[in-house]
Amino acid sequence: MSYENKLLQMKKLLGKKTGQKQEKPTFIKPDPPFYSEQWQQAGLKWIENEFGMLFKREVHYSLDYKHGDYRLGELFNALKRWKYEADDHPFAIDEQETIVFFDTETTGLKGAGTHIFLLGFLQFDEEEEQFTLTQYVLSDPSNEVAFLFESKLWQKDATIVSYNGKSFDWPQLQVRWTLNKQHLPPLKTQRQIDLLHSSKRLWKDDLSRMKLTQVEQDKLGFYRKGDIPGHLAPIIYFDAIKSGNAETLMKVLLHNEWDLLSLITLYIHSTNLLFDAISTESATTYTNIGKWFGDLKKQQTSAEILQEVTKHFNAEETGYAHFYLAYELKRVGEVKLAIESFQSALPTITREKKLLAYEQLAILYEHQLKDYEQAMVFSEKGLELLQQISFIKETQLLNKQRNWHKRLGRLDNKMNKNNSNKD
Amino acid sequence: MFSKKKTISQLVEEWQYDEELKQNIVAMHTIEEKQAQYAQFPSSLHPSIVKALHGRGIHQLYIHQRQAYDFAEQQKNFTAITPTASGKSYCYHLPVLQKILEDPSSRAIYLFPTKALAQDQKSDLNELIELMEEDILSYTYDGDTAPGIRQKIRKAGHIVMTNPDMLHSGILPHHTKWVSLFENLKYIVIDELHTYKGVFGSHVAHVIRRLLRICEFYGSKPIFICTSATIKNPKELAESLTNSKHELIEKSGAPVGKKTFIFYNPPIVHPTFGVRRSAVLEVRDISKRLFEAGIQTIIFAKSRVRVEMLVTYLKSLTSKKIMDESIQGYRGGYLPSERREIEKGLRSGSIQMVVSTNALELGVDIGQLQACIMTGYPGNIASAWQQAGRAGRRQDEALIVYVAQSTALDQYVVQNPSYLLGSSPEEARINPENILILMEHLKCAAFELPFSMDDSYGEFEIQELLAYLEDEGVLVRTSTKWHWMSDRFPAHEISLRSAAQENVVIIDISTPANTKVIGEMDTYSAMTLLHEEAIYLHQGLQFQVEKLDWEEKKAFVREVDVDYFTDANLAVELKVLSEDKSAPFKNATVSFGDVSILAIPTIFKKIRFNTHDNIGSGPISIPPMEMHTNATWMSFELPNDWTEEQLTDALTGAAYAMGSFIPLFIHCDRSDVSVVPQVKAVHNEKPTLFIYDSYPGGIGLSERVYDILLSLLERTAQHVTNCPCQQGCPSCIGAQDSIGESKKQVLKVLDILISEMM
Repeated sequence: MSYENKLLQMKKLLGKKTGQKQEKPTFIKPDPPFYSEQWQQAGLKWIENEFGMLFKREVHYSLDYKHGDYRLGELFNALKRWKYEADDHPFAIDEQETIVFFDTETTGLKGAGTHIFLLGFLQFDEEEEQFTLTQYVLSDPSNEVAFLFESKLWQKDATIVSYNGKSFDWPQLQVRWTLNKQHLPPLKTQRQIDLLHSSKRLWKDDLSRMKLTQVEQDKLGFYRKGDIPGHLAPIIYFDAIKSGNAETLMKVLLHNEWDLLSLITLYIHSTNLLFDAISTESATTYTNIGKWFGDLKKQQTSAEILQEVTKHFNAEETGYAHFYLAYELKRVGEVKLAIESFQSALPTITREKKLLAYEQLAILYEHQLKDYEQAMVFSEKGLELLQQISFIKETQLLNKQRNWHKRLGRLDNKMNKNNSNKD
Repeated sequence: MFSKKKTISQLVEEWQYDEELKQNIVAMHTIEEKQAQYAQFPSSLHPSIVKALHGRGIHQLYIHQRQAYDFAEQQKNFTAITPTASGKSYCYHLPVLQKILEDPSSRAIYLFPTKALAQDQKSDLNELIELMEEDILSYTYDGDTAPGIRQKIRKAGHIVMTNPDMLHSGILPHHTKWVSLFENLKYIVIDELHTYKGVFGSHVAHVIRRLLRICEFYGSKPIFICTSATIKNPKELAESLTNSKHELIEKSGAPVGKKTFIFYNPPIVHPTFGVRRSAVLEVRDISKRLFEAGIQTIIFAKSRVRVEMLVTYLKSLTSKKIMDESIQGYRGGYLPSERREIEKGLRSGSIQMVVSTNALELGVDIGQLQACIMTGYPGNIASAWQQAGRAGRRQDEALIVYVAQSTALDQYVVQNPSYLLGSSPEEARINPENILILMEHLKCAAFELPFSMDDSYGEFEIQELLAYLEDEGVLVRTSTKWHWMSDRFPAHEISLRSAAQENVVIIDISTPANTKVIGEMDTYSAMTLLHEEAIYLHQGLQFQVEKLDWEEKKAFVREVDVDYFTDANLAVELKVLSEDKSAPFKNATVSFGDVSILAIPTIFKKIRFNTHDNIGSGPISIPPMEMHTNATWMSFELPNDWTEEQLTDALTGAAYAMGSFIPLFIHCDRSDVSVVPQVKAVHNEKPTLFIYDSYPGGIGLSERVYDILLSLLERTAQHVTNCPCQQGCPSCIGAQDSIGESKKQVLKVLDILISEMM
């Protein structure tokens, strides 16, 4: 770049800065709340910065610390597996990234009147070779700037791992940040990994609810004792700032601590599930995994896993594995195997999927094997099933019926033509 | 078959010689056409806008449009009075577009009273922008906006068109997602200002105070542009709604086509009781003539029931044709998709006749209709002109037929055409001070942004109210501020449209496998319209209410075919809670204050179509509804020799007559204010007339009555005296069951009151 050009670019920067030279509204540091003493006695640490004060709690865990079925240190094995087996997967984390497990507690569900009163971070401390939990507690809403500033989220680059954080905690943080933007440096955009999304992929139709506590009990071997239900958190915080008594609030901090520890073990467990051979989980889970790889365009991995599922489990459990596998087989031109798989799938899958299977069978028989009689058989079954289905809209139903009739008509023609050729 | 199509002048001439019609035509009045008054384009007007206007064949502005542009340029809030079809939208489009062209970061909010109006205006504005060939983004933002596009509207929409409800619960509580809008907001356009009256207007006044508070937080100072139909106090209303000073543009430069007004009074069929033929039946006959003459007509009726009755009658005109859609009903309670269809049909001409409640008074673009029939006086001059404006948009000749009902106000208007044609229209009142409404919005405001210890809110001092909210447990007080501290979302707890917050959903169970929601209704109306056995009319079809689940607010209806409709009664008990103002006279006292009202639905009657005979009745089992509101009341002494029965009749008659005339003074519906007599009021055991706002907390109407009580009494007495009936009739003191002295006694009561107050 020429000297002039460089200068010109710098001029732009200059212009911007002078243009942005707005007077920041003067910030008046709020007083600490009346209960500061009490909260310290309850076990919280007083932190003060230029914008006011907040409370903090810190806990350290060794790599051997066991939370449910896993030790926290196993996280590093998991990261290695990603590196060697699927580094382009959306849930893969590079060892270079700064991983921050993140969870908040709030006073409501939406809108500018919902406060975040607890920011919980769990991350590995390289120097001390230990995990450190840092919880920041909003001392009162007037001290919010101090609270947000202390989180350093405007400063550090991190990969944020959360449970439903992508659509809840982070947007809510953005709301709080915007409300205080006159005083705060801008919030950095961070990479978000939401383990609610991966859990949904893994345990769809396997777990009835995707609540973190449910996942802990069913998958991570962690059972909470004396936990505060999350929906009580707002009332407990209101009480703590009105009465000054932080005893029950400490239980919310414990709740948040468990949530964060479970995020680590959930990430470990999910990673292992994706790469281990079939072991203790259900056929549904492994089928989900196979399908997930398929949707990520890793068809070979997908086919291998689904294949394994069909071998490993009873026929009643493997309908869906067969169903998805059949598509894979069809794609690589294994027509006969695909047909077999679709047929094996039929007895145990939902009507909706069954309709698709009939359609595929009809297509394969008609266009690949030119077996019009068999194609006819499956088309008729499809049409028959369609009559019994109540879950689709009337217009769609008519459309589908029309398509099936069209197929039948065409098959009829083809068969007649074949017959007349024979004659 | 030969065509029977006729022009309006042919028709009017024919009617003047028609033996049947001419005796009922009380007056006929023609307003001659008015020439346009023009002004030059402002010199600063951006070339792209000039190009777009030229593209539409516009080469100069009407004077009011130019005045609007000039006020905006001087950064002044203003309100323009704009009759139907006067090109009012340019009053705000031009300044707004100009500003965006000068500074593309500029933003504007357009506020329309309904979703339909916003959508209508959007297509118009987008056409204009297309002609400008500029990159200006305008969107509607309401409940129908697709989630995928919302993000873009928040960040990049120059002009956001929405309604007060969406602003209240969808935008303001989430203002942090609208930073670029609030930081750069230059204009707030409020269209159809006159619709923001009463409870709704009082709520919207607060939504706007909240909006301004948020603008201040983000550092913007928007200018208000309001447009209004003709009302008496547009400037006052705008200033009270927006809590800001306004300039007023009163004179429209738009041309007006020739309008013929016919004042039509149905013939008296029972001279002793002064009973006239039903206006609905007269309208049916007149509509038939217009339909056969091929004239596209809009018929206004005041209630949903009337609309449905007329649709039923008129559809028989086309019953022999299959799939004929040329006659349609249109009112609140229809689903939006149904309404859009009808609007389209009117524009394209496939619908020739539409029967509507005042839903169509507003600026929904339905193209040009030729004639308008008003079934009864719509209650105020402003509405009457809005309705009349529906006929003959642009410069076409138009016919307006006003068919009087037998109520006092209707009879007054038909006998005094100059009242409608000549006098100034009524005032529109809002009451942002209504403490119930204020508190609800104060909660929303606190949710949106914390209040500091010296903050006020709008024009209100609120520190004590905030302390009250702290006691209520929704605010917390820190060293510097009041913060919202509750997991509730306060905006969801208020509905702007009705003081009674929940609506009753109407579910059609005619086909058990296919039950569907066909409409909804506010709880207060539901007490008298959706009780069990009520006949509910929807698109001309009759439904009987089979079950009313009052707890769940659901009415289950089944389609029926019967020859009657139902009409229900409410009994009312009143208690004085506090007296704020009082004026003592020698033997009477006039007071204003808070009252508690207990409304108890009692019985309903079945009334046969066409003959309107009473053919049966039954009880209503809905729990009573209690309401606290404002009232003005007058207690007085009467001669001792009156029997209790005489007293009851006289007071009931006086209340009936007075109630009818309140809308002559204040822009409100007949049902917004109630007049209820108590022979022995609970608080002082004296004969008392209560005049109260029909909404919880009051909306300032009865307070206004306190000031005009004497004029109201005089006007009432004059009308009752002049009424041609002998013993009292629906046009003065209400229908009388027996021949008696009621009318004389009503006049005596009124005279006593007037002489007390003189």
